[in-house]
Amino acid sequence: MSAAAVRIRDLQRTFTLKGVLNGVDLDIAPGEFVALLGRSGSGKSTLLRALAGIDHEAQGTGEIALPQRSAVIFQDARLLPWLRVLDNVLLGQPREARPRAMQALEEVGLARREQSWPHELSGGEQQRVALARALVREPDLLLADEPFGALDALTRIQMHELLRRLSERHKPAVLLVTHDIDEALALADRIVMLDGGRISAELQVPGRGDRTLIALQRKRLLAMLGVD
Amino acid sequence: MNAISGEILPSPLSLAPAAQRAPLGPGTPRRNGHLLGPGLLLLYWAILSATGWLDPRTLPAPWTAITTGADLVREGRLQANLAVSAARAGSGLLVGGIAGVLLAFLSGLSLLGGYVIDGIVQLKRGIPILAIIPFMILWFGIGEPMKVAVIAVAAFFPIYIQTHSALRAIDLRYVELAETLGLSRWQFLRRIVIPGALPGFLLGLRFGATAAWLALVVVEQLNASSGIGYMVTLARNYAQTDVMLVGLVVYALLGFITDSVIRWAERRLLTWRRTLGR
Repeated sequence: MSAAAVRIRDLQRTFTLKGVLNGVDLDIAPGEFVALLGRSGSGKSTLLRALAGIDHEAQGTGEIALPQRSAVIFQDARLLPWLRVLDNVLLGQPREARPRAMQALEEVGLARREQSWPHELSGGEQQRVALARALVREPDLLLADEPFGALDALTRIQMHELLRRLSERHKPAVLLVTHDIDEALALADRIVMLDGGRISAELQVPGRGDRTLIALQRKRLLAMLGVD
Repeated sequence: MNAISGEILPSPLSLAPAAQRAPLGPGTPRRNGHLLGPGLLLLYWAILSATGWLDPRTLPAPWTAITTGADLVREGRLQANLAVSAARAGSGLLVGGIAGVLLAFLSGLSLLGGYVIDGIVQLKRGIPILAIIPFMILWFGIGEPMKVAVIAVAAFFPIYIQTHSALRAIDLRYVELAETLGLSRWQFLRRIVIPGALPGFLLGLRFGATAAWLALVVVEQLNASSGIGYMVTLARNYAQTDVMLVGLVVYALLGFITDSVIRWAERRLLTWRRTLGR
């Protein structure tokens, strides 16, 4: 295996109120798609926020090594309402990135909407803009915090397809935080289970064709989450 | 008979007419709709004057204001005084506005600035503008600087307060976004802070402009030798109610025009907003 894109060792985080991390070790290979599963309160978001560098309110120790270029997708699209779609994608990028931003919008199927205001888009379209905003940064690591949690079931399936296509084409390492087992099985190469602030289990996702194995893994994961 | 298609096709009775119920929102705004209220008031006044219910010594008729105004313009008095007044109010608004925005940013964006500045402003805010005039005269004399200073102070407060609270209300999620996108401090200011505070600033500017005209009326009664207020004071001494009325109408028009200009700017600058009242 090549050198890890992401390397986390003995990561600890404490908050006064929110989740806790209690010695997390995790490696993600370049181009690997990892889904982080766990019940609410298991520390999933805490881990992601630590990697994204936005957990100022937390205290903790441990080692985090990340690629230079990373991008974050939040549960809400988090577009600035006063910037048009294209300017949202270009936020923080140099002017020369414009053609790339147009291309990213085209990749997410919003080529015609670049001059729209965010409020003119549907929830799914807004999340696709957020995806384009991440893509334009050409990230080596994509962090996604339940990005499809707020979407309706049909839109979510479309977004799964889109994210899979894009991650196969651009090959970033991906860490997808989710509590949706089917989402994890549909998208990830590997599933990591977080429980009580630690990695409690991990498993390779079987090939897409192998339905019986997937059903089996699904059952195992459900059991681990305490759902029978 | 085709029973199946008969069931599927909606009968005319089941076709619900679109939105029969009155909408809860105020509906589509009309251009210049806000002229209706002033127009009705003018009509009321004109009727009272024309029927003789309103004694011209109490309040002259609206057309008297127009003819007297025309006379004053012909003599050149109105525009000369108006220019002086507008310059006073404008420079006061400018000084107060710049100070308001600068201090709001200082206290809104830094904790220490907030502790120092906001406390003082809140304290000072309790003092009515009229009460500080004696001190202003003491510090700035009785001339032009005092007048501009009083107007600036009056305009400062609403602009500071609205800008400051808009800054404080900027969503923390956008700050997180800025961090994950690696925005520089300047990009953060330009892309997130300034647009986020703009609606508050414009609202404050509207209040500030009103406050500036109000303060103008007061300071122009103090030892002024020019300006609309001076013109009115002089007319009062000679019991020229028509000239006094022209002064009032000019003040009203100035306030109304200023407010319209700022609202127009609001519509241009805040096209991204979709709210109830536009």
